[in-house]
Amino acid sequence: MTQPLKKFFNEAGETTYMGWRFLKEVWFPPYEIREVIRQCYEIGYRSMTLVGITAFIIGLVFTLQSRPTLVEFGAQSWLPSMVGLSIIREIGPVITALICAGKIGSGIGAELGSMKVTEQIDAMEVSGTNPFKYIITSRILACTFMVPILVLIGDAIALLGSYLAVKISGDMSLTLYFDKVFSILQYSDIIPAFVKTFFFGFAIGLIGCYKGYNSSKGTEGVGRSANSAVVVSSLMIFVIDLIAVQVTQFFGFV
Amino acid sequence: MIDTPQIAEVIIPSPPHGEPIIEVNHLMLSFGGNHVLKDYNLTVHKGENVVVLGKSGCGKSVLIKCISGLLNYNGGEIKVFGNEVSSIDHKSLDALRARIGFVFQSSALYDSMSVRDNLEFPLRRHGREKTKDEIDKLIHDTLDDVGLLEAIDKMPAELSGGMKKRVGLARAIILQPEIMLYDEPTTGLDPITSREISELMVTVQEKYNTSSIIITHDMHCAKLAGDRVTIMMDGICYANGSFDEVSAIRDPKIHSFFE
Repeated sequence: MTQPLKKFFNEAGETTYMGWRFLKEVWFPPYEIREVIRQCYEIGYRSMTLVGITAFIIGLVFTLQSRPTLVEFGAQSWLPSMVGLSIIREIGPVITALICAGKIGSGIGAELGSMKVTEQIDAMEVSGTNPFKYIITSRILACTFMVPILVLIGDAIALLGSYLAVKISGDMSLTLYFDKVFSILQYSDIIPAFVKTFFFGFAIGLIGCYKGYNSSKGTEGVGRSANSAVVVSSLMIFVIDLIAVQVTQFFGFV
Repeated sequence: MIDTPQIAEVIIPSPPHGEPIIEVNHLMLSFGGNHVLKDYNLTVHKGENVVVLGKSGCGKSVLIKCISGLLNYNGGEIKVFGNEVSSIDHKSLDALRARIGFVFQSSALYDSMSVRDNLEFPLRRHGREKTKDEIDKLIHDTLDDVGLLEAIDKMPAELSGGMKKRVGLARAIILQPEIMLYDEPTTGLDPITSREISELMVTVQEKYNTSSIIITHDMHCAKLAGDRVTIMMDGICYANGSFDEVSAIRDPKIHSFFE
């Protein structure tokens, strides 16, 4: 019983230390801008199709599923507002972050894990290059800035999917649909939901990097790193979401 | 405290050489309860190629990882250019590492980068005063030295094992280091390619006047590239001398390496 607990606290401590080291080192040169841009492309652009398709389906299905209940209460005119609010405040950020945890978190975990077991990280270190800067800082930075952009894109596509569902079941123009969505949205809905996505991105990058960088036991370890990066970062997304809701309520944004 | 094994070391005095570049004194290293290095001593002089022979798992790779600062050791000291590796700060260690070339057993090429980018990577960090043309010329010249100029734009996945070793060697020498550490450079290669790599190591020594530690199981490589051969056994330097001297020792433990 004590051994798993010890391992958990050990890993939590090491991950926190890595996050702290990132925050300390990110401000100082060398900035590895080329690698950050490359990672933004890999993490952001390459995830766009997956996020887009998923968001479109979520928006469409969510609207189709919600409509009968609202019709029962004669509140179908509230459908765009309700769906829009749900997508922008909660569903969009969380679903997109979970998709990113799956795709990006596992990708980083596996890539760094394989770099570790094939001694590429050692090779970097022994050539006098700071692998932390080149490998970890660049990936955490790219995740922190790309996940919010993916969430924005995902939200917009989910709303389009939702509009399609509304259009299938009744007649409503695109302008009217978006007018209804934005009429109910306030800054207090948008800003906290957007701010938390930076934390989601940071957590995905940090956990992926930690798991990959500390990979061991050869190729088996690489698989384990990728797997646990997804599991832990998905869990962290819900924990951060819970904290974000509490903080938002504390500051009276709800 | 680790007990020093009761084994008679067979040391043949080396002829006078240049100044000592690497000094390993009473090195001790354990992994859990496994005492890998118990009281290891080795001195490498300027311009000298020292071959370290030993059974698999006896701590040869660990030794050069300690020398390059990749692993921390439990006791003793390692001095490289007079600097104690374990006690210098990160910045000084990075500067020291720029003077050391390391050829990994697995080549350890960065597989997301082309051959050109693999060679450019250390240059961008340590050759900041160089212009792009100078960097390009250096990359071309170094690849030419290892006979792989045609592979400059290839990715590591497109290269054979021997080509990867050459690129690994090119990457290690591109900063014109004063020390070369080779971790089983000929392992997994056919005899012809092994010989070519061994000859390349001699060429590197002659061209750049490097001091080297060569970890190998390949006797042809040891004979061709080594000025001196040492045998690591039971965590100590068990024998030390020229290839012919060590191979002539009648100790069965040593003799088994040369059979």
